[in-house]
Amino acid sequence: MPERDNQTWIKNLQTRGADRDAALADLYATLLQVLPRALTRWLSTGDPALETLVEDVAQETLLRVLDKLDTFEGRSQFTTWVYKIAVRIALTELRRERWKDFSLDEMTENSDGAAGLDFVQDGEAGPESAAEQRDTLQHLQRILSEELTDKQRQALMAVGVQGMPLEEVAWRMGTNRNALYKLMHDARLRLKHRLEQEGLPIEELLVMFNR
Amino acid sequence: MKNFFDLFKRHPKPNPAPDPAMQALLGMLSMTEEQELSCDDVFALLDQFAELIQRGEDASQLMPMVQKHLNMCPDCREEYETLLQMMRTSSKDENQHS
Repeated sequence: MPERDNQTWIKNLQTRGADRDAALADLYATLLQVLPRALTRWLSTGDPALETLVEDVAQETLLRVLDKLDTFEGRSQFTTWVYKIAVRIALTELRRERWKDFSLDEMTENSDGAAGLDFVQDGEAGPESAAEQRDTLQHLQRILSEELTDKQRQALMAVGVQGMPLEEVAWRMGTNRNALYKLMHDARLRLKHRLEQEGLPIEELLVMFNR
Repeated sequence: MKNFFDLFKRHPKPNPAPDPAMQALLGMLSMTEEQELSCDDVFALLDQFAELIQRGEDASQLMPMVQKHLNMCPDCREEYETLLQMMRTSSKDENQHS
């Protein structure tokens, strides 16, 4: 691929013609080369699904790059910016595929069949710390039920405990990832403030539950 | 589907671990800041952040709010790690061809 600086990339891609075709062809070839090795944690190199995915992602990336060209501010190399777009497209697709059979309700249902966080007492704790843990757990359960909405509890459980991607949880909740992050941030802040008000320092709780 | 944590309840012995749900929640709370960047904010800065890392600069010092978001958000962290992997592969390929 001929070396282009950021200005040249933009200039080449802005106007229809041979320069744009060549720039797009170079980007496409680079993505086909670089993407597979970055996605090996998802799909093995011999998997035919990887080849199809990479081609689809590369094509979609080029369309999005052309669409968003005027938002490139030149704060990174142009190719890094393109890679970033490709990564978002690829991982969105891979997450959707990986989590397609998981229901949010099943992933976040607690022992009472309700959505939310469910805690278990540490069976290895000695009698004194067991009693202290039990009291603290009950206290924390009460704070959680008083401070958080069902949606917030469900989101914290799904993402923070069960390891579901925000994007997948957001999709199932009919919202988007950005809004879900904000919902979870609000929830975390509410809990943090309440614990401070109640004189329950997080560091001490971590010690209690992270023996 | 049974909740994973119910298993701990039904079989509390012989050596149950401390509650993973509580650990996860407290871990999140300990990293919670009053002001945090959104996923969109971080996506806008991710290419710059990754290039700082690639140049060996202290990105977490230079862009601390991005680093904090990456510590908290699994989706953004995964995208950042994949981006870094692409950049490394790309730069290795360039070095081989030069």
